[in-house]
Parts: sequence; C-alpha cells; structure tokens
Amino acid sequence: MIQRVLSLGRRGCDVLEALGRSTLFLAQSAFGVPSREGWYLWLRQMHFVGVLSLAIVMVSGLFIGMVLALQGYTILVDFGAEQALGQMVALSLLRELSPVVAALLFAGRAGSALTAEIGLMKATEQLTSMEMIGVDPLRRIVAPRLWAGFVALPLLTIGFSVVGIYGGYLVGVEWLGVFEGSYWGNMQSSVAFIGDVGNGMIKSMVFALVVTWIAVFQGYDLIPTSEGISRATTRTVVYSSLAVLGLDFVLTAVMFGGFS
Amino acid sequence: MSDSPLVEVKGLHFSRGEKSIFAGVELQIPRGKITAIMGPSGTGKTTLLKLIGGQLTPDVGRVLIDGYDVHALSRKALFTLRRRMGMLFQSGALFSDLSVFENVAFPLRVHTELPEAMVRDLTLMKLQAVGLRGARELMPAELSGGMARRVALARAIALDPDLILYDEPFVGQDPISKGVLVQLIKKLNQALGLTSIVVSHDIQETLSIADYVYVIADGQVMAHGTPDGLDVDDDPRVSQFVHGEPDGPVPFHYPAPEYFDDILNQEGLQ
Repeated sequence: MIQRVLSLGRRGCDVLEALGRSTLFLAQSAFGVPSREGWYLWLRQMHFVGVLSLAIVMVSGLFIGMVLALQGYTILVDFGAEQALGQMVALSLLRELSPVVAALLFAGRAGSALTAEIGLMKATEQLTSMEMIGVDPLRRIVAPRLWAGFVALPLLTIGFSVVGIYGGYLVGVEWLGVFEGSYWGNMQSSVAFIGDVGNGMIKSMVFALVVTWIAVFQGYDLIPTSEGISRATTRTVVYSSLAVLGLDFVLTAVMFGGFS
Repeated sequence: MSDSPLVEVKGLHFSRGEKSIFAGVELQIPRGKITAIMGPSGTGKTTLLKLIGGQLTPDVGRVLIDGYDVHALSRKALFTLRRRMGMLFQSGALFSDLSVFENVAFPLRVHTELPEAMVRDLTLMKLQAVGLRGARELMPAELSGGMARRVALARAIALDPDLILYDEPFVGQDPISKGVLVQLIKKLNQALGLTSIVVSHDIQETLSIADYVYVIADGQVMAHGTPDGLDVDDDPRVSQFVHGEPDGPVPFHYPAPEYFDDILNQEGLQ
C-alpha cells in the first residue's frame, strides 16, 4: 500500500518535472533575435512542415467539406432549410473542424517527423557536437522548427477552410442543386469575421504552439536509442492529439459557451 | 602561465543514479602535449570528456580550462570557451544534411564573419590536412567510417582550437585507418601546437603517440606516467588491462549465483 502511494507520488513528481523541463526548454529556444541565417533556417523549415503538409491538409479539407455538405443537406432538407447549407458548412469548418482536424493531421504528418528528426540528431551525437562547436542547438535546430510550426499550422488551417467550403459548394450546389445565391449569401450574412474566423484562428494558433512544442520537446528529450525514438514519435502523436481535443473543448467553452 | 597545465581536473566526483562513476579523479593535462586517458570499457572515459567539455556537471570537484572553472561559467561564456576546444566524437557526428565541405565550413560560418573566398580556402586547407580535399562534395552517408572520422577531425580543427578531445578515435577502424589517424593526431598536435586529450582503450596505438598516460579504473586514476615510465605491474588491475588478460581483478563473469547451484537448482523451472 505504502509502495503504491510512493510510486503514485513519484509519478506525480516526474510529470511535474517534465512539465518544468519542457517549459524551460520552450523559453530558452523560442525567444531571441533571429540572425539573417536564422531567417533562412526558418524558411527551410516552413517548406518542410508547411509546404509539404499542404497536400494532405488540402485533400482532407476538400473531402470533409464535401461530407459535411452531404450530411447537412440530408438533415436540412427535411425541414426545408437546405438554403442554410452554406452557413452550416462554413460555421462548422471555421469554428471547429478546420482548426482541430488540421492540427491532428499536422501532428501526424509534421509533428512525428520533427520528433524523429531531432531524435536521430541526438542519437548520432549531432546535437552534442553542435554544442561542442559552440553553437546552441536550441537556437539553431529547435527555434526555427518551433516558429515554422507556429506559423505554418494557422496558414494550413485557412487553406483547409477555403478548400472545405469549396468542397461543400461542389456537393451542395453543383450536385444536390442548392441555389448558389443562398449558399454564398447565407454564409456571408451569418459568418462573423471576429467571432467565427478570428476565434477559429486563435484556436489554431494555440494548437500550433502546443503541437510543435510537444513534437520538438519529445525529440530533444528522448532516450537516444531506436526504441526511444519510436516511443517518442508515438508520444508526440498521442499527446498532441489529446492536447488538441482537450484544449478545443476548453477554448470552445470560453469562446462560444456564453459564460460572461 | 604557459607552464601551467591547460586542463586541470580537481577532486572530481560524478555519479549516475546510484552508480558512482568517478570518485575523486585528479588530472593535469600539460600544454602542447598529447595526453592519453586509458581504461577498460565502461569506466566512464567518454563521461570524463563530457565533464571536461561542460556537457555534464560533476557532483563535487572542479574542471579548470586555462584557469576558467568550466562549470561555474554562464551558458554564454561556456559556448565562447568551447570555440577554443575541438572534439572528435566516436561516431564522427557529422551533420547529415550538410556536405563534407559544409560540415568543415560550419564552425567558420557560425563563428566568424570571414568572406566566402576565405572560408573556402580555410576549409580546403583543413580538408587537405586530413587528405580528403577530393571528397568535399560527398554527403556524410557516402563516407566510410574512417573517412567520416577524418572529416570530423577537419571540422574539429577548423577554428584552430587550443585543445582537442578525441573520444575513442581508433574504435572500429581497420589497420590502415588506424595508422592514418595515429599519424594525423601526432602531426596535427605538432603542426598546430595543440593540446590533445585522447581517450582510448587501444593500448598500442595510444601509447605510440602519447606523451603522458593516465589509466582510469573503478572511478579513480590507477596509474599515470610517461608511456615508458608507466609502472604497469604495480597494480593488478592496470596490469590486467595493459597485458590484455581475460580474467583477473576485472572478472570475466558478470556477477551471478554459483554455477553449480544455478544449474542444479530446478526450482526456478517449476
């Protein structure tokens, strides 16, 4: 019994310690004036985490928009309200689906790659040798990746929404015959720029920070063996997915819950 | 000042978890010489280099490099001090996304504002010194183990350091590469006026180039002296190591219950 309490306490301490370590890690790597080379490194990472994630995010956005329109139409048409399809698709995407699904896809596509890349650098002593050369890997390796993820995911989320709304248009208007004017018109009149688009973007930025942070920290902090790398990659995907879904609930409650 | 040792290790204690790795190590590394630190695998020789390089912090004791206490420096000052050190890693630790040329040019690019033409000349000079000027366009994945280590050596001397740390430079090398590395370490030490610390358990190669030798086992310095004057037979552990005897104070068997009991005791099977 005492043993159990002890191990519970020890686990609690471990969790707290890891949290502290990762916060320090974030503070040490994220802030600082980038040099000209820093910008170049950041651009390269933007290509790696952003541009290369474009395909999967856009294709998913298209399909999710199409499914949304299809499902929405079959429900709305019972009430003769299929004219509201545009606003339904746009609001679900902007408020919820784009930030969340894009973040989940991003965690799987870019987050796991970041963890594995940094982890392998650690395992092959590249990080240590960089330190011995007198270059701080937190600034040279971690910071550009962190900032690239933080900027790339909100941009991808915008793309996701745009493509998703277009997918909804393809299914709703082109296929199912909803009047085009009401699809766009209802959308325009019901979507608030700050309330819906803005809040969706805030969500996306929070997710971007959390997912990239988890990914680079897991890579930097892992045990440098092949087993350690595989575990850390898994942890990145699991932790980021859970964090995204959990935070989404909290943020939605704050933004749209109407407590005030 | 120039007579004082470049590196001094004083009363170093270090442990990992419960396991004590060093218990009171004292070293003095003279300037301009090649000092070897030898000992069986698992005695923490690489850990010692990491302590000297400031990547690990000792529990007790100090490491002084040119009078600076490595572990009392700020992060920034430590990184500045490290520009005067080169380290050759066991694996080479080349940056896998950069070519051979860019790997060697890396320290020059990040620490100096030299014009591109000068960076190129300096890089080619360092590559020439290790005989790999022709391999400059290759990527690290295309190099053999010996070549990777030579490129890493060129990178370690790119900024003309005062001190260079070699972590097991001969491990896993064929006799030709070993010969090349022995030559290089000796030649570079003389030509550049370096101070070298070689951590190794390859006795012949190491003794052939070292000016001074420390033998470490069980967390302490067991013996030290010049290669000729090293009194190897004074301590049985040192003697076993130097003569390469399979059994002795360092046992052949990992601790286990009595062989006889272990075989005949069938209880574990039921």
